[in-house]
Amino acid sequence: METELVIASSPSDAGISCWNLHTGSEHLRYKMCSSPAHGLASVAGRFLASSQIRDPKSSSSGSILYWSWNKPQVEVKSFPAEPVKPLLSNSEGTYIVGGGISGDIYLWEVATGNLLKKWHAHYRGVTCMVFNDDQSLLISGSEDGCVRVWSLFMIFGGANREKAKNPYEYSFHEHTLKVTDIKIGYGGCNAIIVSASEDRTCKVWSLSTGKLLRNIVFPSIIDAIALDPGEHVFYAGGRDGKIYIAALNAPGTSNSSYGLHIIGSLSEHSKAITCLASSADGSLLVSGSEDGMIRVWDTKRRNITRVFRHAKGPVNNVLVVRQPQHLNPGTSPNTQASSLRGHGWPMPPPLQKYANSSDENAYTKAFISPQTASNKLLDDSYISVQTMENLIKELQKQGSAAAAELDVERLKVEQQRSVQTIQQWKTIYENLHQFCVSELLDGNHVESNNG
Amino acid sequence: MDDILKPKLLRLLLREYVPDERHPFRNSLELLFVVSSIKTHKLLSEWAPKSTNKNLIDEWKSAVDSWVNRVFTIASSNMPDKCWAGICLLGLTCQECSPERFLASYSDWFSKLLSLIQTPADSHFVKAASCASISDLLIRLSGFPNTKKDGTSQATKLIQPVLKLLDEDSSDGFSQEALCLLCTIMNCFPHSVHRNHGNIEAAILLKIMSGKCSASILKKLGNALCLLPKSKGDEDSWSLLMQKILLSINNQLNDAFQGLEEEARSNETMRILLPPGKEAPQPLGGQERSQETSDFAMRRAEQLLVSRISTLMYCCCTMLTDSYPVQVTVPVRAVVSLVGRVLMVDGSLSQASYPSMTAMKQELICSELPILQLHSLEMLSAIIKGLRSQLSPHVAEIIQLLAKYFGRCRLPMLREKAYAILKVLLSSMGVGVAIHLSQDVVTNAFIDLESFGDERKGTSFGVHANASRETLTHSRRRKRKQASMTESLQDQLDRDNLEVAIPQNPAELSVKVAALEALEALLTVGGSLRSESWRANVDHLLITVATNACKGGWAKEERSIFLCDEPIPIWADFQLASLRALLASLLSPGRVRPPYLSLGLELFRRGMQETGSRLSEYCRHALLALEVLIHPRALSLVDFSTANDNYEDLSRKVPENVTFQIRTLGKGIVEHESDDELYKNWLGSDDEMEEVPDTERNTNYTAEPSAAARSLSPVNLPNKSELRVSSSGANEKIAVDRDDVMVELQETNSTGGDKLGEHVPNTAAGDYPGGHTSRVVSNSDALDPMDTKMAPVPNDTAMISDAVITAGRDENAKKNVSGTKDGGFNTIIEKISATLVSNFKKSEGLTGESDNESLDSIPDIIEGDPDSD
Repeated sequence: METELVIASSPSDAGISCWNLHTGSEHLRYKMCSSPAHGLASVAGRFLASSQIRDPKSSSSGSILYWSWNKPQVEVKSFPAEPVKPLLSNSEGTYIVGGGISGDIYLWEVATGNLLKKWHAHYRGVTCMVFNDDQSLLISGSEDGCVRVWSLFMIFGGANREKAKNPYEYSFHEHTLKVTDIKIGYGGCNAIIVSASEDRTCKVWSLSTGKLLRNIVFPSIIDAIALDPGEHVFYAGGRDGKIYIAALNAPGTSNSSYGLHIIGSLSEHSKAITCLASSADGSLLVSGSEDGMIRVWDTKRRNITRVFRHAKGPVNNVLVVRQPQHLNPGTSPNTQASSLRGHGWPMPPPLQKYANSSDENAYTKAFISPQTASNKLLDDSYISVQTMENLIKELQKQGSAAAAELDVERLKVEQQRSVQTIQQWKTIYENLHQFCVSELLDGNHVESNNG
Repeated sequence: MDDILKPKLLRLLLREYVPDERHPFRNSLELLFVVSSIKTHKLLSEWAPKSTNKNLIDEWKSAVDSWVNRVFTIASSNMPDKCWAGICLLGLTCQECSPERFLASYSDWFSKLLSLIQTPADSHFVKAASCASISDLLIRLSGFPNTKKDGTSQATKLIQPVLKLLDEDSSDGFSQEALCLLCTIMNCFPHSVHRNHGNIEAAILLKIMSGKCSASILKKLGNALCLLPKSKGDEDSWSLLMQKILLSINNQLNDAFQGLEEEARSNETMRILLPPGKEAPQPLGGQERSQETSDFAMRRAEQLLVSRISTLMYCCCTMLTDSYPVQVTVPVRAVVSLVGRVLMVDGSLSQASYPSMTAMKQELICSELPILQLHSLEMLSAIIKGLRSQLSPHVAEIIQLLAKYFGRCRLPMLREKAYAILKVLLSSMGVGVAIHLSQDVVTNAFIDLESFGDERKGTSFGVHANASRETLTHSRRRKRKQASMTESLQDQLDRDNLEVAIPQNPAELSVKVAALEALEALLTVGGSLRSESWRANVDHLLITVATNACKGGWAKEERSIFLCDEPIPIWADFQLASLRALLASLLSPGRVRPPYLSLGLELFRRGMQETGSRLSEYCRHALLALEVLIHPRALSLVDFSTANDNYEDLSRKVPENVTFQIRTLGKGIVEHESDDELYKNWLGSDDEMEEVPDTERNTNYTAEPSAAARSLSPVNLPNKSELRVSSSGANEKIAVDRDDVMVELQETNSTGGDKLGEHVPNTAAGDYPGGHTSRVVSNSDALDPMDTKMAPVPNDTAMISDAVITAGRDENAKKNVSGTKDGGFNTIIEKISATLVSNFKKSEGLTGESDNESLDSIPDIIEGDPDSD
């Protein structure tokens, strides 16, 4: 199984802590982070980003910080036009989306830092956001209780075609108080959206019809939701310190003491649950609490398997992410990190405060899938045998120019050789002739001498 | 083969088949035999298990020694035929010999081969073979970790000779091999080309522009050009080359389209390519060269232009889709605008006709236009594939372009490509785009698949909305009048099959395949979101197409036994595509039960019997996928029977509940908005009595679709409260008066629930015959108006219960809630359970009879049910 990391941050300046979910060992603690709820994101596993709570008097602009996996210090600081609370990136890490306290949503391109879009999404502050499973829809919740579904396509100007319609796909107004968390399940266009609110309800919405499917009233305000991967149940973390288990597909019963559709609870927290995350296989549930502890639950046995201590203050964000390849304490991290840096994963530039003119967006900075290894099979590229076959084929074609050329060449060489041979024979003949003549002459000479 | 034989075989080959110095070279085909034996038996590998005796190793070594000597000798022969044979075998030796031998002797071999390339007089056979062998040598060399430096220095020596070869060779001749060698050098030893960057670029471009190369060589040239920036591996060289290529394409387009488009268009593209104020880079291939080539362009025919542009576009595609070591800046808008420029030319002269524009030129360009458009579509799809989610800001522009192009594009080849792009767009951009793209896809797919629709009636399948539906109902009505036929859709489809002429043109078929694939992608991605306007028509179209396709095809396949070389593959592709689209249409979640489910199942079942074909494989997969539709299920990940929690008491008593549960199909495969029954079931299924004792197994199996009853159904909030007022006060109370209810619920749990839980299992033991359902109904009527709701339940649950027993605790829960309404819930529950006990006992032994009774009794109750309004 792939190693997973638990990452947690808090509103007090306690940094971001990072543990191995399965072994419990702690990795680096990244410094200088005081995040609002939903303000921590891992950008496609490449680096960590978090929006920051700031004293409203000190500055009118917010800030967003980046940490690379290997350094505890903040590497990049950005200052958006207003304080941003929820922060989100799509799964490929192309975009970072921030929800402003004025109700505006900002969409930046990570690679360039360009502010691609900013739009007025809600009348009051944005509290939480989530992308759907194919990353083409953004669902946002607001302090005024409104939940809206946005299509990135519409946001990027596809709206021209249907001017009459709203810029959003759906707008749900059934929550009466601030929306505290939103999650969406699998299922493409037929997925369900679960939203939690301070009005003590969680509501289940159908994405395909845009209607409310189920309304679940909880004994306490729910601040965090996590979906079971099979969407059998969902977990809702309440301010009373309990994690309620509510039915989605599960057989609904109300013979639990909590209410309709609530089939049980996990509890050991003394203080309010602020955030939930579940591991990839769904067997573990991670909860963060106001008492500064992070508890890991086994969802089958419903007991605690591990407890991490983040800080004295409250925890307000937990994420479970796959361990990035280069963050491997077993092997020497330095060499790997440096080789990785050489392969095009530098920290991106800071996010811009204002949008550019449209012309400058003509150039999109893009990863063209950086080379991982020489995945080409070398055998395929050997060509000499292929060449030989081609040449032979050409030779077989009687009368082809190449074959003729080769024949001529060969004949030339043969002719040359014959000429040489003739020359040789000639020489031999002449030598012999010479010899005979001289022999004869000599003989005569001798004879004449004798005679 | 035994290792002992290997040296012997090698010697045999050497003696019998490999030419030697003295004897003339008889048959070149024999070389192929040598090569294949060596490759199959690894005769040169000199690798044997350690245990092998030393003699064998020595013998093998000496055999390979003599092989290498012989090969090297004939490669040095001055007879050209022997020489090239020797060179080729040397290349083979580089591939096959043991690493030790290779490292020991590669530099000798290299200098031999290099000298052969450099000798000007040799025949092209020799040069081609040398290039190929050197390339193999370098590839093998690059596989060793410690030879990078030496390899680079060796490769550097090669660059000039290779460029010279490229330069002097006017025909295709050996440029193929020379280009391969160049690519190998750039791939394996990129550092060796650093200094010659510009020269290589110029040489390649000269070849491209010369217009004397065949298509395959042009492709090779394109690949080589794309490899150039990789040798440096930085962002700038990639971007620079990309910009040069795009500018070059644009310039050529200016030449080609002069007079065919408005001038503003080219200016606009130029502005995007080269924003004002930015300095233009050196033209592709260097300054003087480009001057020279553009003169050349004037002299040559227009086809040349097209082949050049196509090659450059191919380069662009390759650069966009190939991996590159670092992040680069892609000029998306420039690419899209270039593509748009090509796609928007339709061959008609613009208003301001140029005097210089001859009719001849116009005709030539127009005849080549489809090729150009095909390549620019290719560019579009490359940029979608290359950038994926990063393309989002530009998708709107691309879709507009495509929609416009679809309107005018007629050629099958181009439509096919355009559909492919739609498909990629849909699947990479997801639901958000699908909502807005659906109309375009559907409109065009209907146009292309029309001939498979109701052709016989002369009405088209109507792009807009209801046409097909109208025809359908219309035909039904007519049939009804005639009363000559049964009215099932199946029959109608059968009739269609007989009469629809199946188009046999392969190009047309492949357009249809592409259209089906686009529809499939649409249904997969966005089949249920805002699909009301087109979904029914598409579903109908797809079942019709699939039915027709499969009918015709199977008949044909039977015939194909006698006529082997029929164009079956393309037809099989079409069938497969139609079945794939059909499966998507059946599986894609909708608001109603898939109307053609049974027809589809039948098709897949028949298809499955075509054993051994791709089609039957797919049909098998389809049947597996559809099984979930027939038996909806949502199995628990967590085994609640083992979970140790207080609320699980009852489920442990009724273990069947967990082991196999056909219940809520969470995603609402089958549901209907107006169906209050379903809606009620999802919203407050706990208000219903869902308890089904064993005894009711065989009761009514006919009523409403069971899956529907359980699925998530849409809820209208205002409605909900109204309904609840009348039906179950409990739910209403929860919303209004939360705290009170909670207290009550807790009470219920501790008292009534437990009691009932104890009762239920007992009841199953009874054996009284009798109509239990009616008894329940009448009893509950008497008890409390609330309990009328119990009546429909056997109806619902009976279907489920055939396979399964549903939760006993559901019943419990429900009663608890109802109990909250009046204070005396305890007594009521006792009464109910008492009734149940007696009923169950009665019905235990008698299952057949109860069918009728439940059928009879239930409708009454439903009418009386306050929920059913």
